[in-house]
This record gives sequence, structure tokens and C-alpha cells, in this order.
Amino acid sequence: MTTPAATLTDRYVWAAARTLPEPQREEFGRELRERIGDEVDARRGSGAPDDDAEFAVLVELGDPAALAARYLDRPLHLIGPRYYLTWKRLVTMLLAIVLPIAVGAVLLAQALAGAPVGEVFASAFSVGFSLAVQLAFWPTLVFAIIERNPGSGPVERWTPERLPTIPDDGRGGRLGDLIASLVFLGLFAGVIIWQGYGAPVANPLGESVPVLSPDLWSFWIPWFLVLIGLEMVFATAIYAWGWNWWLAIVNLLLNVAFAVPALWLFTTGRLVNPEFLDVVGWPWGEAGGIVVTIIVFAVIAVSVWDVIDGVIKTVRRRGGSALSLGRI
Amino acid sequence: MDATTASHLQELRRGTVVLGCLVRLREPDYGYALLESLNRIGITVDANTLYPLLRRLEKQGLLTSEWNTDEARPRKFYRTSPAGEQLAGVLTADWKHIDRALARLTSGEGS
Repeated sequence: MTTPAATLTDRYVWAAARTLPEPQREEFGRELRERIGDEVDARRGSGAPDDDAEFAVLVELGDPAALAARYLDRPLHLIGPRYYLTWKRLVTMLLAIVLPIAVGAVLLAQALAGAPVGEVFASAFSVGFSLAVQLAFWPTLVFAIIERNPGSGPVERWTPERLPTIPDDGRGGRLGDLIASLVFLGLFAGVIIWQGYGAPVANPLGESVPVLSPDLWSFWIPWFLVLIGLEMVFATAIYAWGWNWWLAIVNLLLNVAFAVPALWLFTTGRLVNPEFLDVVGWPWGEAGGIVVTIIVFAVIAVSVWDVIDGVIKTVRRRGGSALSLGRI
Repeated sequence: MDATTASHLQELRRGTVVLGCLVRLREPDYGYALLESLNRIGITVDANTLYPLLRRLEKQGLLTSEWNTDEARPRKFYRTSPAGEQLAGVLTADWKHIDRALARLTSGEGS
């Protein structure tokens, strides 16, 4: 409790002045008392009782902290329009670049260390979450301090060089993609077939040893070859129509159809020909487990990225044909 | 008055309060009296705008101030400084310029 002598005005002035730097408090307090006194007098003059008049005036003045901020031209926001866009670009960039790299690194490190799957994801999640909070917090703190610093430096200036390039959604831009896809897929299919007949690896007897298990020819190798054929059709469809949600879903299905059986066969030891492993001297001591982990990781990363890339391209395209915006 | 009109009027009047203060305070006066007299002659301003404005103008050296303790309630009397006088001249000239330009627009000379 305050001393009995303290009036509402005393308490209001104290509450408002305490947010100011010490040297300004005295003068500010006197100014505020003058204002409150004059406004109370004006109300009293129109017939209100003393206490009611004081109360009503203070209600009108509002929150003392807000009043003090107005007197001082102090911002009542965390980050104002001067810095908001710079802040937003920085935080977005940090979250988009640093976060995936860090989470990916944690996943890989944990997997290499041989941690159980549940633990791998749990630690990746917790590292990712706390890193995201840190990445958002520190720039925000710095910008909030700059916002409150009157002698702040120049804001990052925008220049036309920073204009984003308009994505080329015409066929011309996609032709390169199509050719690259078809060439890669053709080579891939060729390698799968070739390794079964004329692979460069040979056993001590001089016979060539297939890399993939010969048993797989009954079903899985044809399955992958058909998938490669479908991928070629898919690449042509992208060239013809451009990305859309249906094709993005097909892309997801194709990736799942490829990566899941491949990983399953690989991790259960049925993908690679045992004889080939003998020839190359597998397992290579300690390194064996790490190589397996890295391969599994790479397959998952490539598939996931391919799906995400499809979604990104679909979303960008649906943003409208940028080249025709505002043109008639 | 609807909100849009009110906000545009407020925008339009913002600068005129500064000019009003600078001209009116050639004769020293204190906050509440200034508020009353500005509103009486038709320069509408509310206390929440005026008091912080006086503080800012003083900080910018456009007003000087002096405490008057003759009466029971000490009051801060503001007066336009030479720099404030000069700014008032610039603002008044600009105001007249805008007024003439608007007049030309309305009479169709400008088009």
C-alpha cells in the first residue's frame, strides 16, 4: 500500500514517471501534474464532485505506461515498419537454410552412431525445435534493441537488383529438364540391365559377377525397369502440361514405389548379389555399417527432396503465370 | 462522421496543429490554455496529441519554456523560439501555396 496521503494523481504520476530515465522524471512529473490539475479543474467547473472529476480524468488519460511512451515518442511495438521487412527476410532465410541443414546433420549423425529409429527422430525433433526458437529469438532481440536506439544506422536499402527472377513456366524452360530426365533414366535402365550381363567385376574364375541379386530378375528388376519407364512418361507429362497437383501426387507415388522396395531389399540384404559382396570384400570392417547408413540416408533424402521440389514447383506455378501479371 | 472520413481529416490536420502552436505561442502560454484557445478558434486538437507535441517541439528547439510558480499550481509556459518563428514562416508559405494550388484545381485552371 502507498501512504494514506498519496492521492490517485500521485500514484498515476509515479506510475507514469517510473518508466522514464531518472533525469527526466522530475520535469515530466510536474508537467503531468499540471495537466491533470487543469483537466480536473475544468471538470469541476462543469459541476462534477472532486473525487469523480479526478477519477474521470485519469480514466481518460489511460494506461500510464502508454501515456509515458507517447510523451517520449517511444515505440509501443516490438519491431516497427522501419525494420520489419529486414527482420522478416533474415528470420525466414535463417529458418529456411540453417534449420534443414542442422536437422539433416543430426539425423545423419544419430543414424551413424547407430541410435534406435525412435531416438534418432526424437533427437532431430528436439534439436530442430530448440534451434528454430533460437533462430527466431536472437535476431528479434537484436532488432527490438535497434528499434529502441534513436541513433540507429541506415536500414538495408532495397535496390532493383534484388528483384526475383520470374520463373520461366514456358515450355522452353522445361525442355532442358525433359532432356536431362530422359537421358538420366535411360542410362539408369541401361546400367541395371548391363550389370546383369557384362559387369566389370569378375570372380577369380574370370566370370563376370552381377551386382544385383540374379533372383531379383523374377520380379523386382522388371518392377524397377517398369518404374523407370513410367518416370520417363512422367517427365514427358511435366514437359507437356507443367506441374500441377495431380502430377505432384503421381511424383510422390513414383518415389514411394521406387524408394520403399529398394530400401527394403537393400536393408534385408536381398538387393545386392552375395557373390559380388565376396568379390569386393564386403563388409569393409567398421566402415560397412556407416556406408549402409549413408546409402539409406541418401536414398531417402533424394526421394524426399524430389517430392518437395515437385510441390514447390506446383505451388509457384499456381501463383499465376507471372509473366502475364498486369499485362493485357 | 464515418471512420474513413475521420482518419483522413486527422491526417490533413496533423501539420496544422504544429503551425497553430507556433503562431499562437508568440504570446507565452501553458498547455491547457493553449488547448482551449486552439479549439475555440477551430484548430481541433485533443490533449493526448497536444501535450506530447509541446514536449517534442521544445526538444527540437522550436519552443522555449519557463515554469511559472506564482499561482498555487506551477505551470509550464511555452513560447515560440526564433527557430520556431522561422519554421512557422516556412509552414505558412507552404500552406498558402497548397491553398492556391487547390483553388486552381477546383476552378479548373490546373487541368
